[in-house]
Amino acid sequence: MFEEASEVFDNMFKSSFPLTFIVFIPAVLILVSPLPAEAAHEFTVYRMQQYDLQGQPYGTRNAILNTEARTVEAEVLSRRCVIMRLADFSYEEYQKALRQSAGAVVIILPKNMSAMPQDIVQQFMELEPEMLATETIVPVYFAMEDDELLSIYTQTLTSSSSQGSLSAAEVLLHTATANGFQMVTSGAQSKAISDWAITSLEGRLAGVGGEDLPTIVVVAHYDSFGVAPWLSYGADSNGSGVSMLLELARLFSKLYTYKRTHAGYNLLFFVSGGGKFNYQGTKRWLEDNLDHTDSSLLQDNVAFVLCLDTLGNGDSLHLHVSKPPKEGSPQYTLLKELELVSESQFPEVKFSMVHKKINLADDMLAWEHERFGIRRLPAFTLSHLPSHRLAQRSSIMDARSVSPSSRHGAGEPPAGPHVDVQKLSRNTKLVAEALARVIYNLTEKGAPGDLQIFTEQMVQDEQLSAVVDWLTAQPRAAQLVDKDSSVVSTLEYHLGHYLKDVKRHYVKADKRDPEFVFYDQLKQTMNAYRVKPAIFDLLLAVCIAAYLGMMYLAIQNFGLLYSVARRITQPKVKSH
Amino acid sequence: MTLFHFGNCFALAYFPYFITYKCSGLSEYNAFWRCVQAGATYLFVQLCKMLFLATFFPTWEGGAGVYDFVGEFMKSTVDMADLLGLHLVMSRNAGKGEYKIMVAAMGWATAELVMSRCLPLWVGARGIEFDWKYIQMSFDSNISLVHYIAMAAVVWMFTRYDLPKSFRLPVTVLLALCVYKAFLMELFVHVFLLGSWTVLLVKAVLTGAISLCSLFLFVTLVHSN
Repeated sequence: MFEEASEVFDNMFKSSFPLTFIVFIPAVLILVSPLPAEAAHEFTVYRMQQYDLQGQPYGTRNAILNTEARTVEAEVLSRRCVIMRLADFSYEEYQKALRQSAGAVVIILPKNMSAMPQDIVQQFMELEPEMLATETIVPVYFAMEDDELLSIYTQTLTSSSSQGSLSAAEVLLHTATANGFQMVTSGAQSKAISDWAITSLEGRLAGVGGEDLPTIVVVAHYDSFGVAPWLSYGADSNGSGVSMLLELARLFSKLYTYKRTHAGYNLLFFVSGGGKFNYQGTKRWLEDNLDHTDSSLLQDNVAFVLCLDTLGNGDSLHLHVSKPPKEGSPQYTLLKELELVSESQFPEVKFSMVHKKINLADDMLAWEHERFGIRRLPAFTLSHLPSHRLAQRSSIMDARSVSPSSRHGAGEPPAGPHVDVQKLSRNTKLVAEALARVIYNLTEKGAPGDLQIFTEQMVQDEQLSAVVDWLTAQPRAAQLVDKDSSVVSTLEYHLGHYLKDVKRHYVKADKRDPEFVFYDQLKQTMNAYRVKPAIFDLLLAVCIAAYLGMMYLAIQNFGLLYSVARRITQPKVKSH
Repeated sequence: MTLFHFGNCFALAYFPYFITYKCSGLSEYNAFWRCVQAGATYLFVQLCKMLFLATFFPTWEGGAGVYDFVGEFMKSTVDMADLLGLHLVMSRNAGKGEYKIMVAAMGWATAELVMSRCLPLWVGARGIEFDWKYIQMSFDSNISLVHYIAMAAVVWMFTRYDLPKSFRLPVTVLLALCVYKAFLMELFVHVFLLGSWTVLLVKAVLTGAISLCSLFLFVTLVHSN
């Protein structure tokens, strides 16, 4: 048979030139044609954080993924892509996958995060810092659950969990019926982004009366942080702080437009970037103001620096200080005013002072006020969190919950951290009252504690809520907010609306010894291709060979059928 | 999936053609060039059909899932051109009936195989993604070989001057079945919502029935005189 085949081809090629041409040109064209990218399912994945801070690498170090999918139930995980669902996620299993040198880890997050049970959300939030604490060689991705992805997960789960407990025949049958999935990311390897500029914004309200007026600085960082930058919306931390800062700027800009309420304090507002990366924006701003210029509001007579961090929830307020304020200092005055206002006007709020010394040996500063404390400026941070270590400050669960029921207070509140606009508004009012009492020196003038300077309508819930909604409409991780991004320009516009001299400050990492390095490829498209194992191809080849053999026999013995047909039709023909 | 998978599909699609060519004795007649000519005629006829379809049948713009019954029927009617083409090929070849039929059918079917299945197989079966449809496509090509042989036989019988009167009707019916087979299959799929493997099976059975009928007619005709 094959000799005959070669004969035919010989004939074909010898006989004429054009035929060879016709046969070979398409063959060459076809051989060099690229493979198509037609996948069973295509979905967006968000890579885990990858950054260097002070030369120390954090997060996942890889972005490329091209391996077969497994679930943790499979016995062998090495060089496989391990898929997990958030509901079944545990640190032990994650560690097991990493120990077995898995090719990658893909964690499937539910579409509606706020519907997850409280304990799972809490557990995952506490795991986030641990996952980031050390560098991970394999790529770790997060994906949003959809029906296709869920079906891929279920199919992988059945094939993974049944491994090793089957007979050979069952395995063969299984290979023919079940699907494997090859997970492939489209992007290139992650590389460091050079010259990334973190933007911070400042604006001021000048006081009246005299040259050397004391200055009050209000600071909030606007960036968010979570295990995956594209998923960090940072509602409570620190969308709430920024919205409170904007509201304070609005309130005091109103007061400062009238001669009678124009106070003898300069107000300096600062919206800092890179807050989750050791307050890089604040650090540079202080350097610019204290070391490089001759005259700056920060150099002379700073009354105190008030940092706003995570204020959108809870019924307690904590004033974090690195040094207890001395009696008679403006700091002490504010502390007393905060105490007084919360006691007399908001009895449900438990106000307390938390003292924690700056630990210079630590890699990360605890609160933003420590940046000011290092530069010997009197500063403190106001937050509803009792400790800086709490996972709420760096979690992807910290998102604006979208369900309208929880926004209006009715129904179940979401499981994770979130912003309660009523509480945010109450906290804003409290801070505004206390600040006003300090600025206008009301206690010394003998005003009672329950004197309301700002009436109900002045602190606007809608305004706060709108700002938080807008801030949480896009992820604001420091790696994603560049100087042209809409977050920065809109913030700048907002500040410019209320304040004077709105300026941008950029911080870029030093080229030779960078303090922080960000990496790209944080959002990618992943393809799941349906594949079969190699043994399936062999099995198929055997089946096809058998089929072809049968075909050969059938065609060889076509004469039999022919004679049968003849025998049947013969009598009929005779009868004609 | 892999090159190996492509090899599998390729073997499944092409070897029956090769075996048929060898075993039918066409190689002994040195009929290769005649087959190539038949293939060229196939190309020409398809081109004409496409031009005709593109000119006179605007694209159906009805809603998705709505079956344009009349339009599809009219389109299948254009497949009559295939019969003309097959007749053209057979009329240009001198020789015994079987020889003419086989040359026309082989050339025709092989040209179709090369033109409409080779590229999808190469592009699809070699990709990462596994899909049964390439194996199905290969099986389908085997079925279409049988289909074209039967069709050529029916055309040959239809165009004979000495066709008995009693044969006229069954041959015409078979001819119509051959032409409208694709249309009937589509209708089946649409009405019964068949799976891809069932469609293949139905197609095989239908084609088998048509070819058996034409075989019986052919045998009767050849040996009656």
